[in-house]
Amino acid sequence: MSGSENKDINEVNSKWLDAHYDPVANLYTFSSCVALADLNGDGESKLVVGDLGSGASNMKLKVFKGTSLMTENTLLDLPTGLVAFHMDQNEPRTPAIAVASGPFIYVYKNLRPYFKFTLPPLEVNELEQEVWSQAREDKIDPMSLKEMLEGIRNKAQVPLSVRSLKFLMLEHQDMESFVNMHKQQPIRRQTVITCIGTLKKNMADEDAVSCLVIGTENMEIYVLDPEAFTILSKISLPSTPAFMDVTGQFDVEFRITVACRNGNIYILRRDSKKPKYCIELSSHAVGLVRVNKNIVVGCTQETLHGCTQKGKKLWTTYLPASIVTMGLMDHKSRGFQAVLVGLANSEVHMYRDKNLVNIIKTQDVITSICFGKYGREDGSLIMTTKGGGLIIKILKRTAVFDEKDTTPGPPVAQSVKLNVPKKTKLYVDQTMRERENAVAMHRAFQMDLYRLRLTAARAYVKALESNLTPMSSSASEPLKMNAVVQGLGPSFKLTLNIQNTSVCRPSMNLAISFWYDEKLYSLKTSFFKIPLLVPGLNYPIDTFVECLSDKGISDVIKVFVLQIGRSNPLLTAHINMPVSEGMALC
Amino acid sequence: MVLDMDPLFLAWSYFRRRKFQTCSELCSEILEKSPYDQAAWSLKTRALTEIVYVDEVDVDQEGIAEMMLDDHAIAQVARPGTSLKLPGTSQGGGPSPAVRPVTHAGRPITGFVRPSTQSGRPGTMEQAIKTPRTAHTARPVSSASGRYVRLGTASMLTSPDGPFINLSRLNLAKYAQKPNLSKALFEYIFHHENDVKNALELAALSTEHAQFKDWWWKVQLGKCYYRLGLLREAEKQFKSALKQQDMVDTFLFLTKVYIRLDQPLAALNLLKQGLDVFPREVTLLTGIARIYEEMNNITSATEYYKEVLKQDNTHVEAIACIGSNHFYTDQPEIALRFYRRLLQMGVYNCQLYNNLGLCCFYAQQYDMTLSSFERALSLAANDEEVADVWYNLGHVAIGIGDSNLAYQCFKLALANNNDHAEAYNNLAVLELRKGRIEQVRFFSGYLYGILCMFRLN
Repeated sequence: MSGSENKDINEVNSKWLDAHYDPVANLYTFSSCVALADLNGDGESKLVVGDLGSGASNMKLKVFKGTSLMTENTLLDLPTGLVAFHMDQNEPRTPAIAVASGPFIYVYKNLRPYFKFTLPPLEVNELEQEVWSQAREDKIDPMSLKEMLEGIRNKAQVPLSVRSLKFLMLEHQDMESFVNMHKQQPIRRQTVITCIGTLKKNMADEDAVSCLVIGTENMEIYVLDPEAFTILSKISLPSTPAFMDVTGQFDVEFRITVACRNGNIYILRRDSKKPKYCIELSSHAVGLVRVNKNIVVGCTQETLHGCTQKGKKLWTTYLPASIVTMGLMDHKSRGFQAVLVGLANSEVHMYRDKNLVNIIKTQDVITSICFGKYGREDGSLIMTTKGGGLIIKILKRTAVFDEKDTTPGPPVAQSVKLNVPKKTKLYVDQTMRERENAVAMHRAFQMDLYRLRLTAARAYVKALESNLTPMSSSASEPLKMNAVVQGLGPSFKLTLNIQNTSVCRPSMNLAISFWYDEKLYSLKTSFFKIPLLVPGLNYPIDTFVECLSDKGISDVIKVFVLQIGRSNPLLTAHINMPVSEGMALC
Repeated sequence: MVLDMDPLFLAWSYFRRRKFQTCSELCSEILEKSPYDQAAWSLKTRALTEIVYVDEVDVDQEGIAEMMLDDHAIAQVARPGTSLKLPGTSQGGGPSPAVRPVTHAGRPITGFVRPSTQSGRPGTMEQAIKTPRTAHTARPVSSASGRYVRLGTASMLTSPDGPFINLSRLNLAKYAQKPNLSKALFEYIFHHENDVKNALELAALSTEHAQFKDWWWKVQLGKCYYRLGLLREAEKQFKSALKQQDMVDTFLFLTKVYIRLDQPLAALNLLKQGLDVFPREVTLLTGIARIYEEMNNITSATEYYKEVLKQDNTHVEAIACIGSNHFYTDQPEIALRFYRRLLQMGVYNCQLYNNLGLCCFYAQQYDMTLSSFERALSLAANDEEVADVWYNLGHVAIGIGDSNLAYQCFKLALANNNDHAEAYNNLAVLELRKGRIEQVRFFSGYLYGILCMFRLN
């Protein structure tokens, strides 16, 4: 990797601290099998991972503390989901771990096996049972068994059991032994768990008792009692659930959002046995996250959709690569929620609504993502990679995610609503008047405008002729002047700052004269010459004014800058004299 | 034979008909005949007082000395929302200072000019003295001099043969014993002679004679202390007076003390207490509205002004303030209504027509826009007003896209008022449009100079 690229990554990642990276942590898992929980009740969150191992062996339940593996338990089968939940009110409030695997849920307390829940068996096809009982009594040979089973598979309403399906897959020579091995056992048909979630029982607290919610292969959702593990509620779906999000409380009101394999999202509510709303996606869902009250779905078409709780689509954004995994970033202490999307191009994009607020580049493709409290750090981001690596990042305390989209587009200011006042009835009336008398109004305005132009031009010419402005407009002698009066009276100091504003020509032969009411003021020198003015320099010229009146009145003193040999002044300044206060003292 | 009316009774009649000059002349005649006629003497003092009387509640001028040498200030930097001296801390919504123009001190421009609408304090004494202290903008050095002097000059001008009452020869202790004379005498000393020291002495003696049971004397004592800048003493007197007798005036005076002490919240509280005693009293409501306005809480100010209008629908200040607020919150058509109401009430001046013209322009009633400005120009009493009208005309010209006319208008605004910073600014922008960078620098240099001067004020 080149240096510039490295720098680039660092810059982008400036909001995160790299806490830990172990490329050979040997962790193969998905977001559904990762959880952060304070298992010992010591205030330190641990990372609990259902490791898929190689897919056939080495399935383990691993617990990490800090950067090291704390414990591991062997799992019998592939885990499909893992949640941490509180199953009772006992103190200390340590959560139990539920690992869904096949048709079972293994519950661990204090990291020891505690309970195993098995899904209720399904009804078995009677014909299939009949066929197998014949096989048990050796009435039919394996070949005819296969033919009959295939016939049942094609026609029957109730699907075949796992045993029959396995049998149908077998090569010809293995059939005999398989039948002999299995024919004595009764046939059972079982479904498997596809996804798992938790639902608070009757309190909204962080550590309230939660029910387990599981979605199964046979298109059903079960809600389990947290203590007795009996089925509290059962809801049928039109398709097999793949991703699930649960919110609310079981005894009050809850909402289960399920993305199914048929490409639809169903929203279930407490009272209805059937899905309440359905969102039909244009492609299959690969991830589902709820942010506040909205649902964010990632689809296989490299898109991210935002929907309301009632299934109304809000926005869509297009991603640069396909989605591998999705996770919620819920920084409770800052009240910040965002969606983390792991992409196939080894990037993690952070979306707040439809705005991309941050991009994290990672060393490998991320397969699982989890944000929460790890150890004692609130803003930890745990990611595992396709190659079995573990990445831990910590959100910087100074990090601020602004609303602004990092991708180009219309500026944020464009979407800020202007505070336009309500249209008043008066306004409407006036527009009516305008519409009805448009011609007359226009004529009146134009006439007034001509007259105004004339008045303005006359006044302007008068001002120019007498050079009333405090700046000289003539091209030959561009001057400006301002005046400052100091003092309380009766004597004032008058400072005139004169500046030649031309670029290179000095001004010569200038003089200053004053006009004032002689009954009111007296000036020591009311006429004096000014030295040569070098362009750009400021020339302060002082003179003293004596106020003669003791009546507390004031007047204007006019200052004229004159050029010798010209009758008009170059410029004029009016100085509003302050009231003399000297008389109050005597 | 014409039967002569009793001269004293005639003088009384003149007094009641507010012919104070004739009344005082008549009293002088009576006094020449019988110099010890207490009734005539008292009537003359009252007539002379009435000639120069200005409602003390509305007179307020904080001098530079009071401002700079303020020993009442506790904190140099007050918390936002608790001080009148921190400009630009808006809490009550309303338009931002970017939309609504502000005074040089950073307060929003009100719809009504009144004492102390241009406040704020300079940083140093030198800045305070250096600022362009014209008769319009500047504050006097100390409130004891400045305008009060002009109010008090009556004593020097009127009487050719010496003052009516020679204060230095007056035995104040004797007069303090006579409550029927002492009150008139006090007002004469306070308003006509403008001699706060003697007035205070008389008030102190009188309140002692009344065994500290007369609230009126306490209020007068408070007024004297306020004039002398002894704010805490004034507060004590007013509070004590309020304990004996609830009076609107006393509430207002105490409010003034709190405002001078820069405690607007205390002032608001007090006024609201006053409203409990005198429900819907207009002056109290106006006081509250003014304070809110000065604290940049325009929304609350408007609410109270509306309350004022409910009680007194000819209240010019309230109409003007609500009107200007509507104008700056993008509802010129409503502002237009308010200003028209002012016109109907007989207010007929340059500023009103100026506002009317602007409102008409922004409410798209073009036929009346320019005629209003024309009338404003003809009514303008001084150069500053002319400059303002030209400045607004410049805006109209920009609005119709005539930059040549706009240029002329802004130049004319400058010719009439050399310190018109906004005009300098707009001229610089116009020059920049034309691409004449040299001129831009020229104007902005000016603008900078003016801003430097006014930042201090």
